[in-house]
Amino acid sequence: MINDIFNILLPHITIGAFIILMLILGMILSPRYYKYARIIAVIGISAAIALLSTTQTEPQYFGFKNSIMSDSYTLLFNFIILVCGFFVTLLTKNLVKTVKRSAYTFYAILLTAIFGGMNIVSANDFLTLLVSVELLGFSSYFLISVSKGYYSKEAAFKYLLTSAVSTGIFLFGVSYLYGITGSLNFSNIYEYITANETSLVYTISAIMIILGLASKLAVFPFANWIIDVYKGCETSILAFLSTIPKLAMFGIICRLMVFPLSNSFELTFVIAILSLITALWANTYAIRENNVKVILACSASANASYALLTASLVSVYNLSTVIFYLICYVIMNIGVFAYLNIYGDNKNFDVNYFQGLYHKNHGLTGAYALLIIGLAGIPITSGFIAKIYLFTAIANSGFVFVPFLLGLLLLTVIALYYYLKILLPLFHETDKNYDVQKFSTNFSQKFVLVSSAFITLIIGLCPEMLIELCRFIAYNI
Amino acid sequence: MNIFLSIPFLVFMPLVLSMLIISPLFTSNEVTVRRFSKGVFGFHFLYTLLMLLFFNSSNPYAININIFGMDWIQSLGIKFSLKIDTVSMILSVLTSFVFFMASISSKFNIRKNHKFYYSMLMLLETAILGIFTANDMFLFFLFWELEMIPAYFLIGGRFQENNEYQSEAKKSAVKFILFTFAGSMFMLLGILLLHYYNFLSNGILSASFADIIDSTIPMGIQLFIAVCLIIGFGVKLPIIPLHTWLPDAHTNAPTPVSMVLAGILLKTGAYGIYRFNYELLPQSFKIIAPILGILALINIIYTAFVSYAQTDIKRIVAYSSISNMGLILLGLCAINKIGLSASVFHMISHGLVTCGLFMIAGIVYLRFKDRNINTVQGVATVMPRLFGFSVLIVLASIGVPLFAPFVSEVLTIIGTLNSDISIIIRFSALLALPLLILSSCYMLKFLHKGFFGEVKEEYLKINDLSVHEFVVLASVLCGLIIFGLFPNSIIGMIN
Repeated sequence: MINDIFNILLPHITIGAFIILMLILGMILSPRYYKYARIIAVIGISAAIALLSTTQTEPQYFGFKNSIMSDSYTLLFNFIILVCGFFVTLLTKNLVKTVKRSAYTFYAILLTAIFGGMNIVSANDFLTLLVSVELLGFSSYFLISVSKGYYSKEAAFKYLLTSAVSTGIFLFGVSYLYGITGSLNFSNIYEYITANETSLVYTISAIMIILGLASKLAVFPFANWIIDVYKGCETSILAFLSTIPKLAMFGIICRLMVFPLSNSFELTFVIAILSLITALWANTYAIRENNVKVILACSASANASYALLTASLVSVYNLSTVIFYLICYVIMNIGVFAYLNIYGDNKNFDVNYFQGLYHKNHGLTGAYALLIIGLAGIPITSGFIAKIYLFTAIANSGFVFVPFLLGLLLLTVIALYYYLKILLPLFHETDKNYDVQKFSTNFSQKFVLVSSAFITLIIGLCPEMLIELCRFIAYNI
Repeated sequence: MNIFLSIPFLVFMPLVLSMLIISPLFTSNEVTVRRFSKGVFGFHFLYTLLMLLFFNSSNPYAININIFGMDWIQSLGIKFSLKIDTVSMILSVLTSFVFFMASISSKFNIRKNHKFYYSMLMLLETAILGIFTANDMFLFFLFWELEMIPAYFLIGGRFQENNEYQSEAKKSAVKFILFTFAGSMFMLLGILLLHYYNFLSNGILSASFADIIDSTIPMGIQLFIAVCLIIGFGVKLPIIPLHTWLPDAHTNAPTPVSMVLAGILLKTGAYGIYRFNYELLPQSFKIIAPILGILALINIIYTAFVSYAQTDIKRIVAYSSISNMGLILLGLCAINKIGLSASVFHMISHGLVTCGLFMIAGIVYLRFKDRNINTVQGVATVMPRLFGFSVLIVLASIGVPLFAPFVSEVLTIIGTLNSDISIIIRFSALLALPLLILSSCYMLKFLHKGFFGEVKEEYLKINDLSVHEFVVLASVLCGLIIFGLFPNSIIGMIN
């Protein structure tokens, strides 16, 4: 067991230790030391990032009786999750001011969520997976409801209900799979289904498992929650919600599609059609919305569906494009929410509220505009390369999928319309007299925004290294 | 390779300078910004002429000037490769000329946000030159998408103090960007499929044009790809059902931007059809060419009638350019040497003509604060010099001998009549010939209604052309006469 910890779990354990530290400090320290909580959380995440280098990737290592695994794929996903967690923690400065009393508990929950996300990616067993999903889910409900007011509670409750239903569906699928194969372990299931004929029950269970997991990505049957949750949620929590659960879920869905659920041809079509419906729903919903948060919610759902469609056409090449797309997407998203965290007023996120901000602050608004352009997939940003790379994967999957590709391409035109809705008011001239001092910009917010814009630009100009990395990861799964 | 005499320098010089202008380090004094930008565009024009001089020459300093290649995304076979052949050289010269003219004429039309305006204009020039010189499909697509952002801001931006058309300009800019983006998504589908089927047939993962010419793609898929590409280019060109963005955008944009849009931006669509459909997918183009020929004929006839019905000066010119683009498309559909050279030649002559016409419309609007042809009257009385230029440029646009459009129109008809593709194309040429007369109807209406008649009392104090406007109109006219007298300078190059 010591061996396992030192081979794969050291980063996880570090985060776990910091969770316990936070809880203890929260009990003994008075609320006026709340500022140190964020610093300790940042230190914890940085330590975990540093300790990722100790994990064994070559060859794959299976620990705790095969229930946890480690290879270069989990390493990459854990790394991105931790980096996102780092950025999110930096953004929470303003939020924590409002909950001084429970600052330490707040960070304990945030770290728990990150811990859950890391565990999801490393899971090699449906039980571990279930526990980790619930860990991430329950932390998310608390995080959503942290900010004051009625709407955040409503959002948390809706998220709780949807997640409960989707977990039920997931478990139902798992029980069928257990019934067929007699095991909950990914490796054993994979061995069984490659050796034996599969039946309709197998397909049904595969679809249910993927659907249950994909509810966190807001994919069609469970998509509606995202609107209310994004509306009621604080921006720094949104930065968390739009990155870490997404990364974790994609990490595990891609692995499931490649290994234990790979033997079902129907699964591909069901997921592809559901993704297309999601993209259609999300993009058309956003047309008449004027709330930036809701538009970004739709964009999150739509982008997840593009990636899920590609991931469902299982191949190693597609996997590499999905990873690349995810990395580019989460980086842009964090930057966008960092900007909203700086300038957003918690009650008003109307697109016109941001009118003319370009004339007030060229640098930050320019960076934000670059990120929005990136989300829309217009060149010299990583979003453009990611879109092209993702769509080459669908085009290469055969002529059957060309209608899907055409559908997605046309939906991105609608997407451009609502991104323009966010983008254009920034450059308009306005009579509104903004007092820039009113906004409490701090260094960490600016750092997150500028660095994500910088990374977006750099990947947009020279994507070769990251693409090579993603291909390496995908070919080594 | 000489850095200062290379394609990347040609393409990216405006980009670098646009970054310089928009940076906070650069002065915000509008006179300095304006003069600096004018200098940049002028220098760029001279530089393009220098490139033209060394193009295809055996000068040891200029060897390898025609091509530049660098690995970009190896895992997709995308190269950062730029290449200049005759057509792209000619169009590059036209591009830098039109941008130079636009920057000169910006003095009176642009009153606000000078830094932003000029940097966007330079960015647009980079994007368009990139389209003309790209030697890789994905690079072409990158520039194609990149061009939307500056074009959007130029059409919809607020560059005048009190512009009654401001809100319409914004709307038409959104319309422009959505149309273009939708078209480019079809194009992306075509490019992705071309990339994949090229890989299947050649075994090389490559997106460069040279590799794709060799590939053998099944006919059905080739047709599908070709149609996707045509839709993409057809939005820009524009081919008739996809044209509705154009009149709005061209009418509401500031005058220099309209000059650039009509003079150059539409040509990127025709260039795309030439580069992709004509060169890369010749078999499928032979099948679609008759249909395109009919669409081109509809372009010519329909927009001529629509143009005649307009009362807004800029709208008349905008519709006339759709009509002319139909002629360019018809020349391409002939699929022979004469048709191609006529088509490229007409791109040049129409670029010059439309530049001049939008300039005239802009001057009239600037002085009279009105664009309605029924209320603006008597321009000839108060502005005799403008009247002189207008008569000459309108005559040129109708296709009177001595001017370049005459040669290109006649050549297009000859090329199309000689086409051995299909009887439909020859038939549409026969129909197009008499219908070219329609252009004189709307153009003479433009001249007749606006320029003659009683001048109103309040307009009597209007000044005639200023030096800037005179220079622009005179150089456009010079270009038209030179190419009209020596058409072989271009046709010889293409052949």
